Amino acid sequence: MLADIVSNLSLGLSIAASPQGFLFLVIGAFLGMVVGLFPGFGPAAGIAVLIPMTFGLEPTIAIIMLAGIYYGSMYGGTITSILINTPGESATVASTIDGYPLAKKGRAGPALVMQAIASFIGGTIGVILITALAPSLADFAASFGPSEYFLIIAVGLLMLTTLMGDNKFKGLISALIGFAIGTVGVDVMSGQQRFTFGSPELIGGVYFVAVAIGLFGIGELLHCIFTGQHRQPAKRLRIGFRDKEFWPSKQDYYESRFTFWRGSAIGFVAGVLPGSGATLGSIIGYSVEKKIAKDPEKFGKGEMRGLVAPEAANNAASAGAMVPLISLGIPGSGATAVLLGAFLMWGLQPGPLLIVNDPGFVWGLIASMYLGNMILIAMSIFAIPLFVRFLDIPYVNVVPVIVLLCVIGAFAINASIIETWILVVSGAIGFAMKKYGYSPAATVLALVLGSMAEETFLQTYIISQGTMSLFWERPVSLILSIILLMILLVPVALAVIKRGRRDDETSQGQTP
Amino acid sequence: MKQWFAAGLLVLAVGYTLYGLSSLTLLTASGRPAAGFFPLMVGLLLIVLCSINLWGDVREWWSERPSSSAPATGGTVSALGVDLPAGEAGTGYSRDALIVFLYISGFVAIMNIAGALLAMIVFMLAFLFTFNRTQVIGNMIYSLVLPGFLYGLFRLLLNASLPTGPLGF
Repeated sequence: MLADIVSNLSLGLSIAASPQGFLFLVIGAFLGMVVGLFPGFGPAAGIAVLIPMTFGLEPTIAIIMLAGIYYGSMYGGTITSILINTPGESATVASTIDGYPLAKKGRAGPALVMQAIASFIGGTIGVILITALAPSLADFAASFGPSEYFLIIAVGLLMLTTLMGDNKFKGLISALIGFAIGTVGVDVMSGQQRFTFGSPELIGGVYFVAVAIGLFGIGELLHCIFTGQHRQPAKRLRIGFRDKEFWPSKQDYYESRFTFWRGSAIGFVAGVLPGSGATLGSIIGYSVEKKIAKDPEKFGKGEMRGLVAPEAANNAASAGAMVPLISLGIPGSGATAVLLGAFLMWGLQPGPLLIVNDPGFVWGLIASMYLGNMILIAMSIFAIPLFVRFLDIPYVNVVPVIVLLCVIGAFAINASIIETWILVVSGAIGFAMKKYGYSPAATVLALVLGSMAEETFLQTYIISQGTMSLFWERPVSLILSIILLMILLVPVALAVIKRGRRDDETSQGQTP
Repeated sequence: MKQWFAAGLLVLAVGYTLYGLSSLTLLTASGRPAAGFFPLMVGLLLIVLCSINLWGDVREWWSERPSSSAPATGGTVSALGVDLPAGEAGTGYSRDALIVFLYISGFVAIMNIAGALLAMIVFMLAFLFTFNRTQVIGNMIYSLVLPGFLYGLFRLLLNASLPTGPLGF
């Protein structure tokens, strides 16, 4: 098995390390760091907006670049968390808790270096685990039937909406909106047109890229404007890596030596689980580190372990999220949903057969992630002064770049003005969804997986002759059904118990 | 506004379900699910959840309604580090967001008529001279250089199809 892995990785490296592959990997990693720097503009938006720029590239090279943007943003997002107490994206929120206090203590340099090392270790461990697990999971998934696939999609969406969202109802509604948009076009099973209103441009369905760019790109941008980011002056910060105080002390490395591994392991598991992802991984990583520390009172006041744990976790999680994407074809987050959309746009169908049918692509992507993490640690340390300079650019000058990329990109995909209007409408909806607590990520995930969910659900219905018994007759389906029920029922049960206790306390308080 | 958005979603959910029911076949002659089966499930679930959601939002709005006898209170809200006066709490820079949205809509509307390059330049000029009035020369240069660069990138390097105007670009 080890020999297989080595030979597959050699094949992957021959693609990822080719001059073109390496060039676009560096571009993707650089763009990812820049995307991560701008608060409110996360990896999902970054990938969606930059998809049109990969036109004209080989599919493998295009995906290598887009994946570079995805995990590169995890590195970049922490720079603003540490320096200005503003996370570049949700997965780096936990890093502000100790990152910013470290900067306030005058230890911004060591904090930036340690986060880069933690990100590298987390990312690399994540990729090693992908190398080991993705082929095995793909083998295992080869025996999956429609009921298993439908349940994995349902579990993923429910976990995304119940674990990550502020409001479960709004999360579920967001997912259903995605399914509803996904039903526009020709029905794959009967060939009947649905919700096309006679428009020939809608026969092929609502193209996901325009919706994703609208929800994530324009929607996020409008929300940033709503919160007044465009009225804020640029942050003038200077950091030089030649300063002696820039580098971490021996004590920093010594104290964090186990934190790197714990954070990475927790993050990877969170990443593999559909729907949880890097944000949850980083929060759990931080909480566990604080819980097991002998001196938890130091956390939140500039403790290096409090920065290392979430950083290792969010990078391992971003790698972990690639496992279900590659081996099952099921993304677990908004960003990986956009990546899946890019896969499909390039004619690549992720799933158990992808590793068998297109090993060059899969192993090229995995090998590029090893190289990407090496490039990113070098960039994160030696190019920090350059990235800090990006914060000098006022947001008011960044807005037009994003708008032009979104609009021109959405039009250029199919030269369709209808799709460009879909982008504008999705932007307004994305803004409202973000403002009122809905989940644009759940909408995009459901839109991308909509046709697969419908097909697998109907196949299960037809095979079981309307009884849906496949959901409990097959062992994997049964386990997934139990998990699904637990996700639905446990929060309700906990709420009932909590309310019961509160009522008891109230009645005891009223008793004289 | 939250309750209006929730109400809008409910109306759309009802419209989606009714249109699906009237235009799509639910079951085939042999009793198998047809094209309307899945949309009907999605539509009905949407109606139920949107109704509960609307009920919750209306109740929240009702309980948060300021009473007419309560005196106006001062205070600030924090939005990404920006302190807004209490009167603007909840509305933020909604006017700015609306202006940008209208500019984007205008940009898309004129793109097919004026061509991509000209539309980009007009959008940039409008945006920058609304939100960054002090930098006149800088705005002019930026409004020409960025669209020129992006037009060149998409049109020449990526060979993408972009709308052309009467001037041929």
